This record gives sequence, C-alpha cells and structure tokens, in this order.
Amino acid sequence: MFDTTNFQPLLARRYTLEVRQQMAWYWQALVIALALVIGMLISAAILVSAGVPAGELLNEFVILTLFDSQSLRAVLFQAAPLIMVGLAGCLAFRARFWNLGLEGQMIWGAIGATAVSLFEIGPPSLRLPLMMVCAMVCGLLWALAPVLLKLHLKVNEIISTLMLNYIAINFLLHLVYGSWKDPRDSFPYSPQYKVFERLPELFDGVSLAVVLALVVALFVLWFTGISRAGLYLRFVDSSPGVARAVGVPVKRVILGTVLLSGALAGLAGLMITAGQEGRLTHSFYAGYGFSGILIAFLARNQPIAATVVAVLVATLFVAGRSLQVFYQIPFSMVQLIQAILVICVASSEFFIRHRIRRIQGGQV
Amino acid sequence: MDMIASWIGNIPDFAVPFALAALGLIVIERSGVLALGAEGLMLVGALAGIGASLMTGGATVWALILAMCAAGVVSLLFALMVLVMRINQVIAGLALVFFCQGLTGLLGTLLDWTNKPVAGLHAVSLWPFSELPVVGKLFVQNPLVFVTPLIFVVVVLVLNRSVLGLRLRAVGENPQAADAAGIPVLGYRCAAIVAGSMLIGLAGAYISVLSTKMWIADMVGGRGWITVALVIFARWSPWKALAGAVLFGCIEALIPQMAASGIRLPQYFVFMTPYAVTLGVMIWVALASRDSSSQPGALGEPFIREERR
Repeated sequence: MFDTTNFQPLLARRYTLEVRQQMAWYWQALVIALALVIGMLISAAILVSAGVPAGELLNEFVILTLFDSQSLRAVLFQAAPLIMVGLAGCLAFRARFWNLGLEGQMIWGAIGATAVSLFEIGPPSLRLPLMMVCAMVCGLLWALAPVLLKLHLKVNEIISTLMLNYIAINFLLHLVYGSWKDPRDSFPYSPQYKVFERLPELFDGVSLAVVLALVVALFVLWFTGISRAGLYLRFVDSSPGVARAVGVPVKRVILGTVLLSGALAGLAGLMITAGQEGRLTHSFYAGYGFSGILIAFLARNQPIAATVVAVLVATLFVAGRSLQVFYQIPFSMVQLIQAILVICVASSEFFIRHRIRRIQGGQV
Repeated sequence: MDMIASWIGNIPDFAVPFALAALGLIVIERSGVLALGAEGLMLVGALAGIGASLMTGGATVWALILAMCAAGVVSLLFALMVLVMRINQVIAGLALVFFCQGLTGLLGTLLDWTNKPVAGLHAVSLWPFSELPVVGKLFVQNPLVFVTPLIFVVVVLVLNRSVLGLRLRAVGENPQAADAAGIPVLGYRCAAIVAGSMLIGLAGAYISVLSTKMWIADMVGGRGWITVALVIFARWSPWKALAGAVLFGCIEALIPQMAASGIRLPQYFVFMTPYAVTLGVMIWVALASRDSSSQPGALGEPFIREERR
C-alpha cells in the first residue's frame, strides 16, 4: 500500500475538527455576541439594499426607538405580548414540546376575551378579570389536544399544533367576516371593546399589559426555578427515562407545563386585542408565533433572558413599522431579520461545541 | 354529473404539488435528514417561478427549471446548517421556513411581483382518453401533470434499484456503517437535500405558475406542512405518498366545487378541511400501527464522525 497522507487535500491535512469539552461562559457569551453582530450586519446590508439609506439605520433602530421617551413607551407596549409568547415558548420547550401552536392559542385567547366582551358577561367591574380568565382557559384548551395526542399516541406535535393554527385562523376569519363583524362598517373587525374592557394605562403612559407581563415573567421564574414542578421539569428535560425511573410523574409534568404555555399564549392574545387594538381583528396574531419561538430559543428557555430578548424583538417590531411607513418596506423584513439572527446564533453553537485545530508539520 | 366531471378534472391540479413535494421530502428523509423546511422551499419555488415567468416574458418551462434551481440554492443554506454546523434539524428546518417566508414576502413586494398574472402552460389532451365520459377531463391537463408519474418512476428506480439509491438509503439507515464502507455520508446527504429540494421547489412553482398563475404572499398556505405529515402517513414510500397526494388533491379540489355548487356551507369551515383531515390522518396512523420500522433509522440524527457510537 502507498502512503495515503500525501493524497489528502490540503485542508484536511492541516486542520482538524475536535469536539470541545467545555467552554468558559464568557467565551460562550462572546461567541454568541459575535454571531448576533454578524446577523445584524447581514440584516443591515439587506435593509440598505432594500432602499433604506445607510445613515438612517442607526437613527431608526437605536436613537429614535430607545432614546425617545414616546417610542420607548411604544417599545415596552409592544414588548408585553412578546414577553408572554416568549415565556410560553420557554415553558413548552422546557417540557421538550415543540409548541408551534402559539398563534392558534393566542387566537383562541383573543376570541375567548372578545366573547366575554361581546355577550357582556359579568358586571363591568369584573369584566376585565373575567376576560383574562377566559382568554387563559381558551388558550389552554387549544393546547390540550396536541399535548394529549403526543403523550398518549406519540402524534408529532409540530404538525398537530401547526394544523390547529390554520384551523384557528380560519375560525377567526369566520367570526370577524361573519357574525362578529362590527355592523357600523365593512372592515373585518369585531365591535370595539368598551373602555372598562381595555387594559388601562397605569402611570406615565405605561400600560397594565407591561406590568402584567413582568409579573408573569416572575411567576414563570418561580415556576421553573423554585417550585416543585420546576424541579421535576428540569428532571424531565435532562433525561425523561431517568425521571420516570425515580418516580417523577413525567406525563403530568409535561401536560401541566404545556397547558400553562397555552394559557400564557392566550393571555398574549388578550394583550393585543384589549391592549393595542381594542377589538378583535383579522390579523392581530401575525408574526407572534414565530417570535415566541425565536425569543425562547435565543434566551435558552430562561425566563429573565426571554424578557430582555422580547424587549429587543419589540424594538425590531416598532422600527419595522416605521420602516414600513417611511420606506414602504414590507413587514416581512422583520421576520427575515429574526430568521437571520436565529440562524447566526444557532450556527455559533458549532464554535462553542467544536474547535478547529491546526496541525503543525503535516503529521496526521 | 357535470359537477363530478369538473371535480375529477380539478384533482390533478391540487394533487401534483403534494405529490412532487412528498417525493422530494422522501428523497431527503431517506438520507436521514429530517426536512421540515418544505413549506419554505415551496414558497421559494413559487416566487422564483413567477419571477422568472415575468422576467422572461412567459418562457414557462424555463421558469419551472429556474424555480427548481432557486429552491436548490436556498437548500444549500439548510445543508450548511444541518451538515456542517450540526444544528438541531428541527430548529434548522423551522429557521429555514421562517427565513423563506420573510425572504419571499419581502422580495415579492419589493420587486413588485405580487398579483401579476402569468401565462402558465397550455393544457394538453391525451387522446383518446380525453373523450371518455365523466373522467375525460382528467386527461386534459397541463403537461407537467403527465410528467409527474414519469418523475416518480425515475426517482423510485434510482432510489430502489441503483447503487446510488442503495448508498443513499444506507446513509439514512446507518451512517456509521456507511461511513465505514467508504461512502461519503455528508456528500450523499448534501446531494439528497439539493435534489429533494429541487423537487419541492418544482411543487411550489406548480402552485404559483401553473395553478394559481400569480404570486400572493404566503400562498403555499401550509401545504408544505401537510406534505410533511403525508410522508409520515406514507411511511416514506413514494407510491403510498402518491396515493396520499391524490387523496389530499381530491379533498382540496372539493373546496372550489362546493363554492360553485351553491351548497350553503360556511366557507371558512370548508377551508379548514385539509388541515383537519391532516390531523385526522396523523391520529389514524398513530392508532393503526405503532411500528416505526419503515422510518429511516437515522432520521433526524446528525452524523458526527468524531463521535462514533
């Protein structure tokens, strides 16, 4: 036999790929930050080629949105439902359940809340709490079928939750183009909520939605970090087999966590209808389902990190709307940028888990 | 009677995208890569097909070929993510769908390709079958409908009767053994991703260029996801997938018929049917058999040579 090393391509001879044992957290943070910067640069390049003047980008995204108190309020306002869907995503993913049905659960939450408003259930003082409860129950119920199917029949939840999204969207259209349409005009909207049915502004123009979202974030932090269910959940997440062997009620933990995820998504639906729009509209949910998954992924299912990421995504949403108004750039840009960021950060895992080593002298 | 005849005549138009996309998915998944990105690749094919038709001024065949190439190029991004970067294949698939949704939505508006009608292909009638009563319209279709079974035969022959196909399936069943036998695992997987994605892109282009004859943002409307379910339902067998595609074609072809016939049904409930049927089929498959023997052994698992098992 002849010596094969001479026939190996140059790159294979000089470099090898190794699985890294561990990486210090600050290096990990640096790699992820670098990935985010690369993602932002790609996004900025796309924005510039789509017709936004390069000088305006910084202005639009950073200065106008974060250093102007009015738009900062808009960002926080926008962040509230995003925090909720992000937390919902975190919870479901911690239970190893791909909940892609966040949009469907949001839609049912909003439908439930609107039903309470439309049929004037309960006295005015109790109306808003009742709407919240109803939104959570409806979101929870829409998550019930896929989780039961997954636990008992092993039906793939990615497909089932997505199919339920399409069913929920069509049901929403049935309502807003049909019996729930505001009789006063011909738009596909429900009648407006009354004043006491809307989430009020608390202080300095900050909506109750923001406070509510932060309270829920603390609750999720307690649930995942301190409560007994959270301990079980970490067990199930790291090794379902071992968890079952030591007597953790695996199915009940997954069921409860996913249902909670659905309830939070339902509440996010209410935050948009009762907080932002003031009525049920035909496309209020657009983009939130994906953002929820993205936020949970970028935050590595950590509730506090999810809250921070949600605020950043909210900045992107607000900036995206103003780009839409001033430069006629479609809102899909926001989704594209989010996807690019996800791809970059997911790719950065490769550099955290592997190291490329150069081999001296050509010895293999 | 007329209604049934026109319903039957419409079936291929709805069945062919499912069939081609399912075939592409089977090619990818037989190599052991979980391909959730079908929805996104169909969108890319659909937009590229319309764009090419508009730019070339109606050279539809070239438009279809360009659409296939566009989907193939975008799938390289997916190949990069799952083969080189070793990203979790579920995350990579979802990211691809979201990326393609954003990209096509953006390009469709910025390039002003939305709602612009294109010519498509002229229908060809397959005489003497086209003269048959009731089922005659089944044989008056655009040429791609008649080409689809040929594509199936070719792909099935390659997959099941050639060395290339044997190696591809080996890579999907047991990549470690295939690697030991000297088969380039990542090369085969990359080729499978690109080839399968080109078929999925053709399916998308069929929807936009030949069926709807215009581009509307997000026009694939979940058909890619339905196809993912269809492939599970067909147990990764091309002929069963073709049968499933015809079944879904029958259901989708009913929707416009019901609107035309004047049966008073709430239209949005009618629109729900394909999704509800998909869900039903998934449950039925789960109830009927729990064996997963026909599933490619290494589906969804990344191949990392350094981590021999």
